Amino acid sequence: MMAPKIPGIGLAKGLWLTLKTLFQRPPTINYPREKETPVPRARGVIALDIEACTVCMLCARECPDWCIYIEGHKEMQPPSKPGGRPRSRATLDRFDIDYALCMYCGICVEVCPFDALFWSPEYEYSEGSISSMLHDKERLAEWLKTVPAPPALEAK
Amino acid sequence: MIDNRLAAIHASDVSVSVELETPEMTLNLGPQHPSTHGVLRLVAKVDGEMITSVEPVIGYMHRGYEKLAEVRTYPQITALVNRIDWVSGFANEIPFMVAVERLMGIEAPPRAQYIRLILTEMARISSHLVFLSSYPLELGAATPLMHALRERERVLDLIEGVTGGRFHPNFNRIGGVKPAAGGGSGQKKVLQDLPAGFLADTRKAMDEVDDVCDDMVNLVLGNEIFVKRTRGVGIIPKDRGMEFGVSGPNLRASGVKFDLRKSDAYLPYANFEFDIPTGANGDCLDRYWVRMEEIRQATRIVRQAIDGLPGGDLQAKVPRIIKVPAGEVYVRAENPKGEMGYHVVSEGGRGPYRLKIRSASFSNISVLPWLLVGQLVPDIIAVLGSLDFVLGDVDR
Repeated sequence: MMAPKIPGIGLAKGLWLTLKTLFQRPPTINYPREKETPVPRARGVIALDIEACTVCMLCARECPDWCIYIEGHKEMQPPSKPGGRPRSRATLDRFDIDYALCMYCGICVEVCPFDALFWSPEYEYSEGSISSMLHDKERLAEWLKTVPAPPALEAK
Repeated sequence: MIDNRLAAIHASDVSVSVELETPEMTLNLGPQHPSTHGVLRLVAKVDGEMITSVEPVIGYMHRGYEKLAEVRTYPQITALVNRIDWVSGFANEIPFMVAVERLMGIEAPPRAQYIRLILTEMARISSHLVFLSSYPLELGAATPLMHALRERERVLDLIEGVTGGRFHPNFNRIGGVKPAAGGGSGQKKVLQDLPAGFLADTRKAMDEVDDVCDDMVNLVLGNEIFVKRTRGVGIIPKDRGMEFGVSGPNLRASGVKFDLRKSDAYLPYANFEFDIPTGANGDCLDRYWVRMEEIRQATRIVRQAIDGLPGGDLQAKVPRIIKVPAGEVYVRAENPKGEMGYHVVSEGGRGPYRLKIRSASFSNISVLPWLLVGQLVPDIIAVLGSLDFVLGDVDR
């Protein structure tokens, strides 16, 4: 490989690079004051659309570390037209995601057949205690307004 | 063999007078030491400054992935396997996916294979950039870290833009890459193809990566102190390296021209033109140089793949519930750290009966007890760092 010919040339070249970089803008971001905008596909937090969920339990079953807890019950709805049969509808009682266990794989979002789960790139929800990492369905529904539109695709 | 070398070492210093002889001392390194890339413990017996024996103690980071995989379905295991070697998460998924696809007798469409290849090479670049920057840091130079990690972040941002994850992409699916964000109904079935601007940004990033390699030549390879610390230190001879199962850049630094990308067709590498850089001496300096050249080759592959990116589907036809026919297969791939292989044994169910993971770092550090004997104590760090292992890859 390369053997330095002139003694000290390696040091001089290194210092020259340092000097060049000295006048460039730093690529780092001063985090708490400035914020980075994550990419739209970033897997930050899972948002829940309570109305769309039908308590089918697919997400809880497919989760690799079983961190989704779902409970629900059937509710009778009045018939859609007079004289009709009353409909039963599944209603969500509990939908918790334990973010202390979640490994952000996104399988739940993928398997959901009714578009009830979405990825949001929000990341600022760290907590002081591990039990507060359990987000209930109201908190998950709040994330829904942070879900961005999907990015445009590269032309084929 | 070790005894022979020890005998030679002891025979060589017959001139040392009895008063100067030091009593044998046990030196403990780790498990929490920055140069061990995780939690590796080394128990070294030293005679003065000379190491007479080394015993690596591993297992501090054993997470039991082989056992976890037995109680999970194939799509769930995808999320596990990219956590094995977290510095190059995407590259870990490939051999497992190819193994399952071979068992099922399907093949990913060309566009999916090209996307896999591009992201694998980008994972290789980011993994090697970590090595290029952290190895001088372990030898006492802090500046290269800042330069290389800046470009690594650029590459990771691009990976995140496509897959949604910087470290754990989880983007491969059996039969292709992630085709859509959601399941059944049409409204959320958004294609997860490459986002707009990815190809142009990647081209630019590859130029920047090549530039930072040139900077590294000036900063590190041209630095007299670095060369003095690494040249002739920790030499792995060709045959010895092969006996210990060393693979990847560590073996190529010893002069063995062996690269699974050329010999095993797990991704369409045959369509691209690239060289296999090999070192001459197998010392720490060669291992550094080989990885730097591999980055340049990887940028070459990525540029060619972007130019020749075919259109078409992202996913082959696979059933909704994936059941793999009974049988077994072993697929190995050239990971940034070396040869990574998965031996999948299926009994026809939704999950594997047994999954054996052959990880590169485990075999690479098995050479340590032989390699470190006869070295000086300060060279432990130089040798450890140059092997570029990750403890998650060692312990699984």
